[in-house]
Parts: sequence; structure tokens; C-alpha cells
Amino acid sequence: MNATLSFWAESLPSLISGMVVSLEVTAAALAIGVPLGLVAALLVQSTVRPLRWVTLAVVEIGRGAPALILLQLAYYGLPYSGLQLSSMGSAIAALSWTTCAYTSEIIRAGLQAVPRGQSEAAMTLGLSRLDALRFVIVPQGMRVAAPALLGFAILMLQASSLCFAIALPELLSKAQLIGTMTFRYMEILLLAALLYAAICIPATLLVAAIERRLGKHAA
Amino acid sequence: MERTGEARLIVEVKGLGKSFGAHKVLDGVDFSMRAGEVVAVIGPSGSGKSTLLRCLNQLEQHDEGLIQICGIGMQAGLPVPRKDMNDLRRSAGMVFQSFNLFPHMTVLRNISLPQERVLGRSRAQADERSRALLERVGLAGKADQYPARCSGGQQQRIAIARALALDPRIMLFDEPTSALDPEIGLEVLAVMQELAEAGMSMIVVTHEMHFAETVSDRVILMAEGRILEEGPSAEVMRRPKTARAQQFLHAVLNR
Amino acid sequence: MTPENALLIAGGIWWTIIVTLGAFGLGAALGVPICAMHVSRSRALHVVAVVLIVILRSVPPIVWIFILYFGIGSGWLSIGPVPAAIVALGVITAANMAEIYRGALKSIHPGQWDASHALGLSTWSEFRDVMAPQIFRVTLPSATTYLIGLLKDSAIASTIGVMEITYLAGFLASKQFGASLQIFAFAGALYILISLPLAAVARIADARLRMKVAQ
Ligand SMILES: Nc1ncnc2c1ncn2[C@@H]1O[C@H](COP(=O)(O)OP(=O)(O)OP(=O)(O)O)[C@@H](O)[C@H]1O
Ligand SMILES: [Mg+2]
Repeated sequence: MNATLSFWAESLPSLISGMVVSLEVTAAALAIGVPLGLVAALLVQSTVRPLRWVTLAVVEIGRGAPALILLQLAYYGLPYSGLQLSSMGSAIAALSWTTCAYTSEIIRAGLQAVPRGQSEAAMTLGLSRLDALRFVIVPQGMRVAAPALLGFAILMLQASSLCFAIALPELLSKAQLIGTMTFRYMEILLLAALLYAAICIPATLLVAAIERRLGKHAA
Repeated sequence: MERTGEARLIVEVKGLGKSFGAHKVLDGVDFSMRAGEVVAVIGPSGSGKSTLLRCLNQLEQHDEGLIQICGIGMQAGLPVPRKDMNDLRRSAGMVFQSFNLFPHMTVLRNISLPQERVLGRSRAQADERSRALLERVGLAGKADQYPARCSGGQQQRIAIARALALDPRIMLFDEPTSALDPEIGLEVLAVMQELAEAGMSMIVVTHEMHFAETVSDRVILMAEGRILEEGPSAEVMRRPKTARAQQFLHAVLNR
Repeated sequence: MTPENALLIAGGIWWTIIVTLGAFGLGAALGVPICAMHVSRSRALHVVAVVLIVILRSVPPIVWIFILYFGIGSGWLSIGPVPAAIVALGVITAANMAEIYRGALKSIHPGQWDASHALGLSTWSEFRDVMAPQIFRVTLPSATTYLIGLLKDSAIASTIGVMEITYLAGFLASKQFGASLQIFAFAGALYILISLPLAAVARIADARLRMKVAQ
């Protein structure tokens, strides 16, 4: 027991530095992917067919292919099409794509939940389509989507562990590295699991609380 | 285009038809209205009253006939130019049964935002006008509240203020008091009456027979997508000519 | 994309399906007792179920796989990559299926639904004939959607050497650097192809359910 604790104490700084990388990659993927998801949610409703189809393809591939494949595609595949990305760059590119694809569905559902009367009121007041979206529909739709988006953000932090496969020095890579050096796999992986849980459990509870609060607000 | 005799007509509708699929909801509707007039539209549920209003401001596209409103002509089947559409939306204010205030904005923002975006007024100008209008509908104290904190009657009066803020030439009301308790509805009707007395052109779809009779200059009675009777309020409501109109009025007046 | 490469990667479909269905079967079965514990009158059982679900969901699947394969596998008992992947994904699935079952129970007995009656006190035949078909119907759309997600999650079995689609794609790409892009694109397309019929089932089941609710 004591041996484990001192081993954990020794390894913790390294794992924490890995966790910072995990959080960075997640934050970047969300910062890029969610706005793109909003754009995609609007474009799939576009009346311009080619635009709608391209968006649909981007979304369906992003949702349909495993994130692990997208990560490797970005890291190993892109260099031979002339675009060399670092493992951080590939990770952000691939996870942003995934984020865009999933959040576009979440946001689309949020936008659809905005009552029809809202856009009709905006229209009769003379607001342009863009203004109606910007000031009336999108703010309300995003509010509806917020709990699901937060829940997705937690899943994204978990998905960042897949970047292990493209040599990004995030939490799991660090743990695995220490495991290979010390052969104390069980202990180091448990510590990594604890660290993930230490973020995800409070975050999940927080999201649930927000959801309940919003639910009450609406009622 | 404009002929002198019709120059003061603010609305003119000829042969208006509208179908949803195979269901003909409006069929050969003709009517016109002078500036400053108040017209009440009554009739049984499903007779096409809301659809008529929604065609007037093009929330629905009509598929037969001609609509002229505030000098903008719209022929069925022809696209309405963007400029005309903007003019139409600016000239015709609409008030819905369900208020449709923007719940995520304060009352003041609800009224000021369209002025800023549509008329290009500055924030200060818009807010000044908004506050004046809130005063006029008796809700000066509500400016910084959110709509959810206001009663239904208050919300509807705010919605009226919001529409008025764009200085419309005509106001369209679709059952503005139907979602309200009768008592609360009175405060909304009072605002509308005051508006009518100030000379606003108004088309009011309503089940409030008292309002139709006392405030409006003219009543249009619709049934099955057609205008059944039309004329001065007292005449239509007291001496309906057709049996169908008599039946409807009998039912609603003896409720 | 040469036909040889395509054929080689497609050969991984079987392991992908075995891992996916194995984990789903395990999870669908284990989910039942977890759900029963969650809705049971016993406070202790309830707490155990909640804690189990929260822990299983709060750690990334790949970490669970590593714990099983490298952690347990290196010390206590030796466990092959395929069982490790199935068990790890299976227990995570169990937590999620338990929640899906619970949602279904709630929707069948809205308002004052009595959980112990729903699961405990009712006779077996009542459960089998009355409850189970309803639960199945309500669960079908979300369970199918979950299955599609699981199909994609099964790709992480490649990291411990299960020779499924992603593993073979990675293997090929390491031999033919120049073709990496096509190889991974093809592998991604395979997953989408496999999930198409599942997505159709989910959509149809969902539409049926909505119609039932609307009536
Ligand atoms: N968007 C639509 N799609 C299909 N049918 C519609 C649509 N809008 C209205 N209708 C139908 O058109 C008919 C007339 O509807 P409308 O709302 O104009 O009636 P109304 O006179 O306003 O009735 P109420 O007094 O109930 O408001 C109804 O039969 C209605 O079902
Ligand atoms: Mg109506």
C-alpha cells in the first residue's frame, strides 16, 4: 500500500503534465469544433443543395468513422497529401471534426426546439434572416443545447485519451510510458483512471445540476 | 399605377385564394379598407381568419389573386422583391395570440432591438422610444424585467408596443386576447381601443364580439374560407342576412 | 486503394463485429441487474448501482481496456486481447444499458410508477408478457444508437492488438506510408457502411415509437 502511494506520488507530476495536454487538446477541439458545429447545423438546413450535401457529408463522416481512425488519418495520412501536422495539430484537427459533427446534431435539435412563433415574430418585425438567427433563434437554441453540449465536452475529454495512438504526450501516454519503464502497469493505470474520474465525476454532477436548474427555469 | 380614387385604400385584396395541399382555406376573398379604419374579422374556427392575416404580411404565400397593402402589390405566383418585403414588414405590425416575445431579452431589448436592426436607430434613440411606448401601454415599470416575469396581459401589451415601435401604418391582430382570462383581456382591449381612437389602421381577428361591435368600424364575417358578410359593425352583427351568419352570431352572442 | 489492401482490411470486419456484439451482449445482460439495483427499494443496492455507473462512465474506455489487458493481464491472470476488449467495453456498456433500461421503465410507468412492482413483486409471467415487450420496444431506438457508438468504440481494441479493421489499417499504413490516407479513409468508410443498416433500424424503431406516443 505504502509502496503504491509513494509510486503514485513520484509519478503524479508527470501524469499531471499529461493531463494538462489532455485538457488543452480538448479545449482546442471544442473551441474550434463547436462554432463549426453551429455553422454545420445552420448549413444542413440551407436551401442551397450542394452546400447542404457537403455539410451532410462532413457531419456523417465525422460521426460515422471512429475518432481513432480520424486521428490516424490526420497524423499518418495527411503528410502524404502535402500537409504535415504535429501530433498536437493532428489531434486538434481530428477531434475538432468529431466535435463539429456531433455538436451540429445537438445544436440542430436545440434550434428546432425554438418555437415557430419566435421566427415568425422576428420576420414580422422585419428582422433579416441573418438577424433573426443571430439575435433570436441561435441564442435560444444554444441555451436549449447547453446541457447536452457540456455533457459532450466531458466525452471529448475522455476521447482525448485516444491521442495516445498518435504519440501525443497526454495523460494516458504518460501513464503507459511509466508502465513500460517500471512494469507497474496496474498502479499507474489506476492513477490515470482516478485522474480522469477526478475531472469527469464533478463535471458530470455539475452538468446534471445545470440541467435540473434549466428544467426548473423552463417550468 | 395608383389611381386617385383608391389612393387612400391601405389594403385591397382581390380574388385571394390559398390552399394547404388539397384543402382550400381561402377562396375568392375580396375586400378593401381605407387608412384609419378598424376592421374586425370574425367567424367560426377554421374559417381562414388567421390565414388571411398571415397572407397579408406574407407569413404565408397566397396562391391566387392580388394583395395590395400600404402601396405594395403582391400578385400570386410572382416572387415579392426583397425591398417590397422589407417595406411590407416595416409597414405592417403583427400581434399574435401567443405574444411571441423573445424570452431571453428584457422587455426593453424586445422593443429596442428591432428598431436598431430594422430602422437603424441608435441604442439611445431606440430605448427612448421604447420607454415612451411602455408608458403608453401602462408598463413603464417593466422595462428591465424578462417577459416570463410579466403576466399574459402585460406580455401582450408589450408585444403591441414592440410592433408600434417600428411606426407601422397598419396593425394586424390575430386573436390578441384569446389566450387571456377575460378580465385580463380587457386591459389589452383598452390599449387597442386607444390605438383605434388615435387613428391607427387595424385589422383585428377576434372572438370578442363586444369589441367587434363597439370599437371596429366594419366587420367581416368569414366562413369556410369565404367572406360571408361584410359591412358596418352594427349592421352585420344585428341584422345578418345569411342563415349561416345568423347561426354563427346566435351561437357566439348567446354564449 | 489496391484490391489486396481493401480485402486485407475488410478481413478485420469479423473481429470488429465479434468485439462489438460480444461487448453489447455482455452489457445488455449485465445492465439488467444494475438497473434493478438502481430502482430497488434497498438504499444500499441503489447507492452501489449509482457509484458503479458513475465510475464506469467517468473513465475513458481505452483506459479500462488497458487496465484489463496490461494491468490485470500483466500481474494476476493472463487475459487475451479479445476477451480484454469484450469485457472492458462490455462493463461500460452495462452501465449505459442500465440507464437506458431505467429510462424505458420510467416512460412505461410515468408518474407514480412503482419500481419494485415493475421489477420485483410482479410475477415472472407478468413481467415476460406485459413489461418486457414494452421495455424492448421503448429501448430499441436508443439501444441501437448505442450499438452504433459501440461499433466505433471497438476500434480501440486495435491498441491492444485485436486484429480488427483499425488494427489492420494501421498495420498496412505502417508498411505503405504513401497509401496511408486512402487506407484510413477506406477503414473509416467500412465502419460507416456497417453502421448503415443499424442506423436504419434505429430510425424505423424511433419513428414507430413516436407514432405510438402520438396516438
Ligand atoms: N400550415 C398549415 N398547414 C395545413 N393546414 C393549415 C395550416 N394553417 C392552417 N391550416 C388549416 O386551414 C384552415 C384555416 O385555418 P385558420 O388558422 O386560418 O383558421 P382560423 O379561422 O384562424 O381559426 P381559429 O379561429 O381556430 O384560429 C384550418 O382548417 C386549418 O387546419
Ligand atoms: Mg386563427
